[in-house]
Amino acid sequence: MRDPLNKRLGRQLREELGKYVIIFLFFVMMIGAVSGFIISDTGMINAYNESFEKYNIEDGNLEFTLDPDKDTIEDIEKDGGIKLYENFYKDEETDSFDSTLRIYGERDEIDRLCLWEGEFPSADDDIALDRLYAQNHDLKVGSSFEVSGRTLNVCGIVAFTDYSALYESPSDLMFDNDMFGVGAVTDAGFDSFNDDHLHYNYSWLYDKSPDGDVQAQEMSEELMKTVAEKAMLQNFIPAYSNQAIHFAGNDLHNDRTSILVFLYITMVILAFIFVVTTESTIAKEAAVIGTLRASGYTRGEIVRHYMKLPMYTLTAGAIVGNIVGYTLMEKYMAAAYLGSYSLTTYSVSFSADAFVLTTLIPFVIMFVINLAALTRKLTLSPLKFLRRDLTRGQKKKAFRLNTKIGIMTRFRLRIFFQNISGYIVIIFGIILGYSILFFGLMFEPMLDNFKEETVNNMIADSIYVLRMPAETDAASAEKAAMTSLKTTFEKYKAEDVSVYGISENSRYVKIDHNGGVTISTAFMNKYGLKKGDSITLTEKYGDKDYEFEITGFYDYPSTIAVFMDIDDFCETFDMDEGYFNIYFADEKIEDIDEKLIMSKITEDNLTKTSRQMTRSMSGIMTVFKWFGVVMFVMVIYLLAKLIIDKNAQSISMTKILGYSNREINGLYVHTTTIVALLSMLVTLPLVDFLIGAIFKMVFMSYSGYFAYETDLTVMVKCFITGVISYSLVAFVLNRGVKKIPLAEALKNAE
Amino acid sequence: MFLELSQIKRAFGEGESRVEVLKGIDLQIEKGEFCVLLGPSGSGKSTLLNIIGGIDTADSGYISINGEKTADMNEKALTKYRRKHLGYIFQMYNLIPNLNIKENVEVGAYLSDSPLEVDELLKTLGLYEHRHKLPNQLSGGQQQRTAIGRALVKNPDILLCDEPTGALDYKTSKEILALIDDVHNKYGTTVVMVTHNDAIKNMADRVVSLRDGMIRKNYLNETKLTVDELEW
Repeated sequence: MRDPLNKRLGRQLREELGKYVIIFLFFVMMIGAVSGFIISDTGMINAYNESFEKYNIEDGNLEFTLDPDKDTIEDIEKDGGIKLYENFYKDEETDSFDSTLRIYGERDEIDRLCLWEGEFPSADDDIALDRLYAQNHDLKVGSSFEVSGRTLNVCGIVAFTDYSALYESPSDLMFDNDMFGVGAVTDAGFDSFNDDHLHYNYSWLYDKSPDGDVQAQEMSEELMKTVAEKAMLQNFIPAYSNQAIHFAGNDLHNDRTSILVFLYITMVILAFIFVVTTESTIAKEAAVIGTLRASGYTRGEIVRHYMKLPMYTLTAGAIVGNIVGYTLMEKYMAAAYLGSYSLTTYSVSFSADAFVLTTLIPFVIMFVINLAALTRKLTLSPLKFLRRDLTRGQKKKAFRLNTKIGIMTRFRLRIFFQNISGYIVIIFGIILGYSILFFGLMFEPMLDNFKEETVNNMIADSIYVLRMPAETDAASAEKAAMTSLKTTFEKYKAEDVSVYGISENSRYVKIDHNGGVTISTAFMNKYGLKKGDSITLTEKYGDKDYEFEITGFYDYPSTIAVFMDIDDFCETFDMDEGYFNIYFADEKIEDIDEKLIMSKITEDNLTKTSRQMTRSMSGIMTVFKWFGVVMFVMVIYLLAKLIIDKNAQSISMTKILGYSNREINGLYVHTTTIVALLSMLVTLPLVDFLIGAIFKMVFMSYSGYFAYETDLTVMVKCFITGVISYSLVAFVLNRGVKKIPLAEALKNAE
Repeated sequence: MFLELSQIKRAFGEGESRVEVLKGIDLQIEKGEFCVLLGPSGSGKSTLLNIIGGIDTADSGYISINGEKTADMNEKALTKYRRKHLGYIFQMYNLIPNLNIKENVEVGAYLSDSPLEVDELLKTLGLYEHRHKLPNQLSGGQQQRTAIGRALVKNPDILLCDEPTGALDYKTSKEILALIDDVHNKYGTTVVMVTHNDAIKNMADRVVSLRDGMIRKNYLNETKLTVDELEW
């Protein structure tokens, strides 16, 4: 015979439809979003991992100042245990729009291209462009655009496997797929560009591949010494430290971990919401349970009965969530990555991993927490249920409240203490909702602020880095020297430091030349350095260490830099007196041969971080904002409604006594309002602190410095959004209180 | 007439399952009268009490208190009516479980412009030493006393009692009845009490007997007994 209790399920569902619909939607939203993410992420990670072999991605690349002869190359290959592949490029300025396009020749052997659309170049004017760069400039197969005075036709849209994140330089804090792009032309087409911006770049593959990053580092250090002995190195980037190759892969992996942690935290909160709601249902149905137990129903049967609706809801949510995940969210999530990274083509298939992570584990979490809570609750005797006395052990004593406090305030306090477990879950829900919301709101002003600070504190409009000293007549040009060293902090990954030698009466950098060095505020803030500290920096392509004492700070908020007197600079780095290799200038220097200029540091270079982050994160930030609001509304509504439901009989009784709806709302809804508003106010700095700590932790592993600063407006916006979300909930709750019938109080007299 | 009921009809359900619980009740109760509504289960007595108390509404007919018809009242006015005129005592006490005994009574006092002194009332009810306890720490009789205290503290015009001794033993039932009788005598409160206990009719001024939704008997009790004299 079928379990007759099943007939109650439909009725229970109808009675608490709102609650189950919200929980169902919550599951659909969470599981849909996370499974969509995991599926697309898995597809991309697989494609990314396979791409190393499929497209023969390099073990590293190096650039020579001058092109070495064939014998030197062979010598390096022999002594270094590598095979070098010519991978020259030319950095050209585009005329049709403002950007730098790095043009390569044909790539048949190493770092082969993945074709998304169209075909590879066959004519001299053909170019295969990186998908994102093309997308950002509205270029499609068949489009044409101007580069250094020439017209190129887009024949194909491709992914450069060594540029999955479009980092122009390895020392950049962030990639930039708008102002920087890569393209491939035929070898003849490559030669047809003049050699002013030619870079003698070679990619290498080890004869024997390294086993892991540690070995790769050891091998690359050995190789660098070998190469440096034989030719003048301009750049040396082993693949393991090349952000352009690994950033996207790391991000895909890290995001996967973060989103799963987020899913499980949400599931635990949701499970507790379920426990609180189920306990409330048990309290409401105590007499029914008592009767059933007294009639011979086992505890197991009752537990199974009360587990059914939550588990059915979860199952339905999981099924719909997975369907939504595979159909709708996968594309949406993939678009977020494809909008940031130049990934190779990938395919989506059913992922057992995704199913286990997004469906099975949450299911088990919910099942176990609910089962434990219900089993514990249902160990009470049938008589206790019949008497509606669900206390365990000794009866709860009332704690005293000062009778000088008005009865309404005492009433509210009693409601608060009665529902404290629900309020604690509400507070956690608020923290979670806030964190999501905060994350969604903070980036825009933070990036704007970063950009403004960076631009306001630029040393000069442009910094020209020269290959060799050259004179200019530009009036604003000021000579200085610069070299790159690496940090040596034990706890942190080594990163590049720009060391500047500044002339004594510099109009651009005003520092005290008192023997020590002045460091940028970015350097100071990132590593918590102070005056009097010593820092040890090491050569980028060598092993000589330099120790400096910090004597001051210079307001330079986004670059890790050291400033010193130019004479000290020359002495420290064994340069001749009067040496310089950079110009600070507030105007364009036009009288120096382009071939002598290695690079230019302009506003565009310094603000690319904020530009790229704005571009790649604005879409997902909107999702975060809405998700935060939904989280807020759902958690607060579910729990606040629970408090109303739990007290339905008391509310009904107060109505019978003659309390008006306003007074009752003042008791039951306003208590939740006070808790919600206070929590919103108090937890905001906590959320700010938590996000700040996470942010700093994440950005420590990045090169450069990006300050975590939250605008007061973000706090205000968060709070206002919270208040508006809560007002919506309070409005619905007020209506709920109004709807509780007077006859509710008579129900336990049955 | 203080409380007047005219042609009160109430039915539940629809179609074939429609049951007429009250089939046209006419009743008049004087101010200060102690009226007992008597009848077996299903006779309609609790439904009638709920309609008087504004918890339920009649399908037709009207109730007037001091000339004010409840049918003409909107929700707000009805709330005010309950607040101003009524005190309610239920069989299952219906105390607010998270408030202590004193606070349960204070909840009633809050509604009145001239409430009785709470501590005095608690002493009268024999609850003063239990005032800091929660309802579930007290016996049924003590909980019912608290419910009476909550109803009385606002000094209502009418005290509506729905089987107030239904869940109590004989001795406690008599204590509660004595308490209600004292209040009736002391404050001149009009009492309408629903009971199926035939013996209780003997302490009432007016006895109204219901069966199948109709008044079978409605008479003034000429031979009132004290609570001590009641036997069942």
